[in-house]
Amino acid sequence: MKEKLDLLLVDDETIVLQRLKPALTKIGCTVETFGDAKEALRRIDEKVFDIVVTDIMMADVNGIELLEYIQKKSNRTKVIMITGYATEALAREAMGKGAFDIIAKPFRPDDLRNMIARAAAALGFKEKIRV
Amino acid sequence: MANITAVGPYEEDLKPPVKNHRIAWDDVDRKLIERPSFSFRLQLILGFLLLFFLSMATIIGSMAAILQIQNKLRFVQATERFLFEIEQARRWEKNYFLYGTNLTDAAESASNAKILLSQNLKAYQEIAVQLAEQIVRNLDDYQNLLNELSLLDRRSPSGDLAKKHEIEIELRKKGAGMVEIAASLARTEENSMNDLLNLIQRIPIYALVAYLLLFLYVIYFLSQRFMKRLNSLVNSTQRIASGDFSPIIPVRKTRDEFTTVSVAINKMMEELDSRQRAMVESHKLKAIGTLTAGVAHELNNPINNIMLTAYSLLEEYEELSKEDMLEMINDLIKEADRSRSIVRNLLDFARESESVSELLDLGVLVKETLKLASNQIRVSDVNVDITVQPNLPQIRGDQQKLKQVFLNIILNAVDAVQKQGEIKIDVEQADSYGFLAVNILDNGCGIPDHILPYIFDPFFTAKKPGKGSGLGLSVSHGIVNIHGGKIHVESEEGKYTRFTVLIPTAEMPADISQI
Repeated sequence: MKEKLDLLLVDDETIVLQRLKPALTKIGCTVETFGDAKEALRRIDEKVFDIVVTDIMMADVNGIELLEYIQKKSNRTKVIMITGYATEALAREAMGKGAFDIIAKPFRPDDLRNMIARAAAALGFKEKIRV
Repeated sequence: MANITAVGPYEEDLKPPVKNHRIAWDDVDRKLIERPSFSFRLQLILGFLLLFFLSMATIIGSMAAILQIQNKLRFVQATERFLFEIEQARRWEKNYFLYGTNLTDAAESASNAKILLSQNLKAYQEIAVQLAEQIVRNLDDYQNLLNELSLLDRRSPSGDLAKKHEIEIELRKKGAGMVEIAASLARTEENSMNDLLNLIQRIPIYALVAYLLLFLYVIYFLSQRFMKRLNSLVNSTQRIASGDFSPIIPVRKTRDEFTTVSVAINKMMEELDSRQRAMVESHKLKAIGTLTAGVAHELNNPINNIMLTAYSLLEEYEELSKEDMLEMINDLIKEADRSRSIVRNLLDFARESESVSELLDLGVLVKETLKLASNQIRVSDVNVDITVQPNLPQIRGDQQKLKQVFLNIILNAVDAVQKQGEIKIDVEQADSYGFLAVNILDNGCGIPDHILPYIFDPFFTAKKPGKGSGLGLSVSHGIVNIHGGKIHVESEEGKYTRFTVLIPTAEMPADISQI
């Protein structure tokens, strides 16, 4: 088994990427970030990630489409959705489509870390991730 | 393809209407009522009185004519009796000259004639004074001659034949003269009687014709006045239906029963006008509701950025270089600014403010509106393309209200298109001189032909219950109307919808200081 958790972070807010990359690297993740969902899709074609954290509302490709695309590639990948507009319907749709969990903006780094720890646990990375 | 245009009452000349929307309603009502009354009741009464007097005149005229005929008849009869007596006298007179008898009878007949003449003298004098005097003189002469004759007879019954002959000739002359004059008088009277009879025969025919003409005039006059009032009321109601709530202003110098209706309509319009204002306000609140959901989303992004940056600062305070820290602090400031502008944008739109008419750049205004709707646009994943023709003249209007119009149309378009739909907005010089056009074209579901004519009606909505108030376009129409512009919509079901909003440029004087 791998040492580190491969994590893909997709959000069109660059500050989110800038701040979360070190914050998640600190807990033992290898973090790749994309501000453009289309580029993220191309990367998903090349590599299977353990965890994908993606914004739902994005230009061009939205988070739900990304989720569906990932699930076609690998059913192992846990997808965490970020939403700035947490409506019940959207949450239901994402959960129905097999998202691991949903996190609403604004959130603290620890909120996401805890969620990632749970996802890692579900993947069997129990020891590696410390929050 | 079908299209429909909603325009104000001044469509034909495309001039921005000079409207004073905060009218002194009481003043108009007072002006309506203060006019002197010329009611339809009064007009009817006058018409009937005229007919009554005409009938009276006819009847009195006829009666006078009949009375006159009666008098003339009596006169003719009297004249005939007079003539009879005279002729009788002349017959006796002839007997006397032939046989020497009946002279006293002649005198008696002559004096009978004298009595008859004195009875009718007045009437004769009325017809012809000279003839009357002549006949009186003739009769007196005649009687004198007869007296002379009887005196002569008494003196010498068979003497002085020459004198008798002389008297005889004189008697004949006088007698014939009297007969002639009396007959001519009788003839004159008969003729005038015949004239009167003719007149009396014709009076009913003349009267009928006069009645008919008067009837026609009264009917025409009244119905014309009546229809004019009705038509102007119908026009007013149509004006109201098109959203123009300006009051009915007195046109005529007099008032009538319809004035009451006009005053009532003005009352209703005053009410409608204030309701319309309330409606515009309530619709704005609804739009704010829609926007708030989007703003909540939009606001979450900078807040999230601030939160993540602040936590990063907190966690890595010791390890961070000065440059990194400075970058983070700048991010914090930038994101705080971003939050502020999002909130300010919404508040600018939401703020309850008195209407202000100012010079505006329509392109900038539409772009700002687009920014307001940007979250809805992002959520719906719609592509919006805006082109603003350079160097457009400015317009004059109420920024908030105009934004409400464009926001409403843009949000409708966002609703109408599927994901990845296209909305194309063009701000350009309109075909009609002095107007700018904002074209908002979407490739959405379109508007079915059968509902197209109703989309500007208040409370009409094609959306599901609870989704639309049905006020948006009606309110937009009202706002555009006030600005002297018009809204035009063109649509093909399943293909596209194009809204065109025409707004007059500021060069055209439009008094909208009191929108």
